[in-house]
Amino acid sequence: MLYVLQQLGYVTRQRLTKLGRGTFFLLHVLTGISDILRRPELLIRQLYSVGVLTFLIITVSGLFVGMVLGLQGYYVLSDFGAEETLGVMVATSLVRELGPVVSALLFAGRADSALTAEIGLMKATEQLSGMEMMAVDPVKRIIAPRFFAGFFSMPLLAALFSMIGVLGGQMVGVGLLGVDDGAFWSQMQAKLDFSDDILNGIIKSTVFGFVASWIALFEGYDAVPTSEGVSRATTRTVVNSAFATLGLDFILTALMFGDD
Amino acid sequence: MYSAAQTDNTVSIQNLSFSRGDRKIFDDISMQFARGKITAIMGPSGTGKTTLLKLIGGQLCPEQGCIVVDGENVHQLRLADLYDLRKRMGMLFQSGALLTDMSVYDNVAFPLREHTRLTESLIRTLVLMKLQSVGLRGARDLMPNELSGGMARRVALARAIALDPMMIMYDEPFTGQDPISLGVLVKLIKTLNSTLHLTSIVVSHDVQETAAIADYIYLISDGKVVGQGTPEQISRSESGWVRQFMRGDADGPVRFHYTDDDYLEDLFHTEEQ
Repeated sequence: MLYVLQQLGYVTRQRLTKLGRGTFFLLHVLTGISDILRRPELLIRQLYSVGVLTFLIITVSGLFVGMVLGLQGYYVLSDFGAEETLGVMVATSLVRELGPVVSALLFAGRADSALTAEIGLMKATEQLSGMEMMAVDPVKRIIAPRFFAGFFSMPLLAALFSMIGVLGGQMVGVGLLGVDDGAFWSQMQAKLDFSDDILNGIIKSTVFGFVASWIALFEGYDAVPTSEGVSRATTRTVVNSAFATLGLDFILTALMFGDD
Repeated sequence: MYSAAQTDNTVSIQNLSFSRGDRKIFDDISMQFARGKITAIMGPSGTGKTTLLKLIGGQLCPEQGCIVVDGENVHQLRLADLYDLRKRMGMLFQSGALLTDMSVYDNVAFPLREHTRLTESLIRTLVLMKLQSVGLRGARDLMPNELSGGMARRVALARAIALDPMMIMYDEPFTGQDPISLGVLVKLIKTLNSTLHLTSIVVSHDVQETAAIADYIYLISDGKVVGQGTPEQISRSESGWVRQFMRGDADGPVRFHYTDDDYLEDLFHTEEQ
């Protein structure tokens, strides 16, 4: 019993220490914004490798998720003769939930894991420490551009995901199952609210982008500089970003849509 | 910078102690590194020679004692001042630590672009001069993964001297080199030291190569300085430990076995466990 308590205390303390280190790290990264304003080309390069290169997986997944929503929604709604509201269903679920959440999960698998591995390997091959010895702060020069690139790309990718998803739903619903095209769009336009649905979706994906990039970069920076350490850090990044995304999604949903 | 008013030591270490976990890496050691000379730190693997360089560079903090570099106490500087001091220090990492996403040219240009506002054409001139001095001007468009180990270390050396530092620290420059690259590196270190008036600190356990170029040698083992002097003094040393290390003898004060307990007793203990 005592042993269990001891272990519990030990693990809690370790986690708290790590959280503390992570917070200091985050503050350090945030001060890097001055450097980015001075040299925007650093950020632009990372926007390309973090954001643009994630386009394909987001587009393809968005299309399929939208198409599946179209199919499933049609079968349920047609029982009630309400297949005209298919557009509302597809768009609401995408913009509110699936867009931000699924694209954050895909982002964790595609971009965050790559960030952790990159930073971890740079640490293992002494590149970060070499940079420190050249009087260049690696947190500002290497990590801050990657952090802000993740932070800015995430909402854009989520918006892209939702948009492609709606098109996929329309393709299946209107093109394949014969829902009226005008009803599909006009119902969606009438029902979807900018601040309630779209803005909340953007806020969600901004939060996810912030947290996921923080986790990925900190795990890489904090990794044990061996091959095993980097591989573990990469795994932790994907697992922790997924948990953080889903947990935060619940909290944010409860805060945003709790009153209706 | 080289005025006579300053001490003639670029780096001076006083009563330094440092531990990692429970293991004491340095126990109250003092060393002096004379300006313009090549000083070697030698010792068996795992005696914390690299740690010492990181302490000098201010990447680690000592528990006790202080390190003075060019008249400034490294561990009492503010971060901005520490970075200023580091611009005057070059360091050659064992792995080279080249930035793998940049070409050789961009690697050497990196410190210049970060710390100066020179025009690209001036940077080009400087980079080509530095690469010429290590004999790799023709390799400027290669990526680090296309270089051999010896070439990577020479590129790293060109990068380390890009800002014309006053001192340069070499971390195991000779390890894992073929005889030709080794000869090239030995000659380079010597030449750079004399032509650029650098203070060089060479950490190594390659006895012959290091003794050939060093002006002064410190031998460290188990956190203590066990021998020091010019290469001649070291080679004439009476100490059994120093003699064993310099000649690479298998027998001597340094045991082959990790532990001291009795071999037979250990073998017969299996049933009890």
